[in-house]
Amino acid sequence: MTGTEIALIGAALAVGLAGIGSAIGVGIVGQSAAGLVTEDPDKFGQTLLLQALPGTQGIYGLLAGFIIMQNIGIIGDELLELTVPQGYAFLMAAIPIAIVGLVSGIYQGRVSASAVGLVAKRPEELGKGIVYAVMVETYAVLALLATIMLLFGIPL
Amino acid sequence: MPIIEMKKVFLLGHRQERENIFSLLQALGSVEMLDIKSGEAWEEFRALLEPEHVGETVSESESVLSDVRYCLDFFQRYFPARKSFVEQFTGSKLELTEQDYRDFVNQLEKVKPVYEACHKAEENLARIRNEETQGRNLIEELEPWSSMSLSLEEVEQGSSAVIGLYTVGVDRSEALQAGLAEKIPDHYYEEISADNEFVYFFYAGLTEDLAQMQDLFKDNTVTAVKFQDLTGTAAHNIELMHRKIASLQDEREAAMKDIEDLLENRPMLMACHDYMANELQKHEAVANLARTENSFLLEGWVPVPVLQDLEKAVEEKTETAVLAARDPEPGENVPVLLHNSGPVEAYEVVTKLYSTPKRSELDPTPFMAPFFFVFFGICLSDAGYGIALSLLALFISRKLKLGGMGKQLIYLLFLGGISSVVFGIVFGAYFGDLIKLPPLWFDPLDDPMRMLFYCFAIGLIHIYFGMGVQAYRNIKAGRPWSALFDQGFWFIFLNGLILLMLPGYETAAQWMALGGGAGLILTQGRSQSGIVMKFLSGLLSLYNITGYLSDVLSYSRLLALGLASVVIATAINAMGEMVAGSLVGTVIMVFVLLGGHVFNIVISTLSSYVHTSRLQYIEFFSKFFEGGGKSFQPFRIENSYVDVADPENS
Repeated sequence: MTGTEIALIGAALAVGLAGIGSAIGVGIVGQSAAGLVTEDPDKFGQTLLLQALPGTQGIYGLLAGFIIMQNIGIIGDELLELTVPQGYAFLMAAIPIAIVGLVSGIYQGRVSASAVGLVAKRPEELGKGIVYAVMVETYAVLALLATIMLLFGIPL
Repeated sequence: MPIIEMKKVFLLGHRQERENIFSLLQALGSVEMLDIKSGEAWEEFRALLEPEHVGETVSESESVLSDVRYCLDFFQRYFPARKSFVEQFTGSKLELTEQDYRDFVNQLEKVKPVYEACHKAEENLARIRNEETQGRNLIEELEPWSSMSLSLEEVEQGSSAVIGLYTVGVDRSEALQAGLAEKIPDHYYEEISADNEFVYFFYAGLTEDLAQMQDLFKDNTVTAVKFQDLTGTAAHNIELMHRKIASLQDEREAAMKDIEDLLENRPMLMACHDYMANELQKHEAVANLARTENSFLLEGWVPVPVLQDLEKAVEEKTETAVLAARDPEPGENVPVLLHNSGPVEAYEVVTKLYSTPKRSELDPTPFMAPFFFVFFGICLSDAGYGIALSLLALFISRKLKLGGMGKQLIYLLFLGGISSVVFGIVFGAYFGDLIKLPPLWFDPLDDPMRMLFYCFAIGLIHIYFGMGVQAYRNIKAGRPWSALFDQGFWFIFLNGLILLMLPGYETAAQWMALGGGAGLILTQGRSQSGIVMKFLSGLLSLYNITGYLSDVLSYSRLLALGLASVVIATAINAMGEMVAGSLVGTVIMVFVLLGGHVFNIVISTLSSYVHTSRLQYIEFFSKFFEGGGKSFQPFRIENSYVDVADPENS
């Protein structure tokens, strides 16, 4: 495999795994939200907000994948010929957001789904439900940060 | 003073003026009522008090209110008043003028007829629904027999012959036919129809074979089908039922039309609902009074700034009432009302979402507001997005009549937009890289390490500020030593450790770290008993350094979110660029850019808001703020459906 191909695996993992995490997370919240909205259609806005929360991991993954694609020239000017070690560097840089995005997306989905239950009984406490969900997202943000710092640090 | 002073007031009045005074207090909305009888101070006067009597008016009002609620729910079920997306967050009310409101409330006697009409309409609809279901079920049952030309009333058991309709499972059908052929020579079997599960058949035989037939049918789980009270063929009955259902549908439409005609009463009902709910509240408040035969006494909290207005109103509009106020006594649970002026008020919503401050505490809002402003800007950090957000907030505040927390939140977003314009210019982002302008300072994309460093620095300032507030509280409360031990030593110790990392300050840094650390070891265990325990828990307290470390590292999210919003914007631009070129391409590009940036603004604003809030709650508030106070809830007019315009304002 060429270095470029290995780097592309990194991009694929970042987008794919973090995206899976978000998809599962958003799915979990959507199920409980739909249940609540059958009872009370006016909660749609609030629950949609909660459903959006676990969606960020997928965006972070896409972001990491996008930076990789840009750095190796898939998007934009011309495709760079990477050495194999360079390729592995990109792959490794993608790992934090790929793994943490996958897991934190699912768990943030669970917390948000519980927050849907919270909103069902106490709509005025939406803020607290969001804060609980955001505590989980912290780690996705940190992983994204690590990935970005790694990506910017790779010498080309 | 961000937390408003409260005074306890006592109002003594004559029984005859009770209603009048309560209406006055409700309209003013400046007193939080207390249940005076639960106070122990009144124990010895108990003999003088009149026993409680929940008046007839209360139960009457309650029944009217429940009728009104029933009608409104009923309308909502059949003709729902949909709320728009924004209204789901802010709530929506019917706006009425004072005059309209009065007119509606004067039609209170119309509630009963409307209620009865609604009730009748609902029963009617339920009957129609029932009959329809019955009809459909019958059609379903008749369907398999529709090809049979025999009239249903002819299917019966006679003295010499048995004829009937039966069903048998598909898997048993062959066995049944074989059994019939073998055991009952004289019979007639005709399959009428079949589906996946059952075969529907017609059987005719002699009555003398009945017992044998029954055994055979039982062995093969054959079920008899009977249609009572039906005449004519199955097909004819199906046709009849279809016609009946059609006429039921007409009936339903007529019933819905009747309900629609009732709908014009909805505004009246809404007004009556709010009027009755407020009346009931008043009655409940009256129940909390201490009453004697001819007088009553109420007790409550009043914010000092409106106390004068209250005194004036009581003096002018009543004849017998006497108002007395006193300062809160220690140990009394005084409600808390926040008051911040100017832009700081917007940030009260952040504090309230966490907790209402205790009365003995400082309101954290003014301390947190500037940091919130800055952090939000760094997280969004795009001038274009900032302008869009501010304009949107402005539009919403103009378009919708918001009050309380909703208004504050929109104002907060407006300010956040301004902040993000500032940081967008500083870091050179205008819808990502759509408009290419050089940054005023530097672009974090080019030098993320530098930006990370500044994020940690600003975080450290935030944390130190929180510690400083706590030190101030300690000094103010007469505990200067606690300020030195709990905040001062940590401040020295942390700064020493930080300086250790910088070249050139080694000696000073060492002494600061050692001195601060020693101070902490010596003082942090001071609440423990015994010298060993004091020392050990002092030593253990140094472990808190990990807490401070993770607090500071947490501010790296400022960089991450700032980069995320800008890089996603750049990605959207790149995608737009890819399709640009031809005419169709350019149209698609416009859609990609528009949709992409709107999406990114929504998502990035949401993360900016929640992550900035989190930095306040977890990293900042934990240094000095506990919360858990009781918020001020005055006795006032509370409307859930209508909004009555103030005659003075309009």
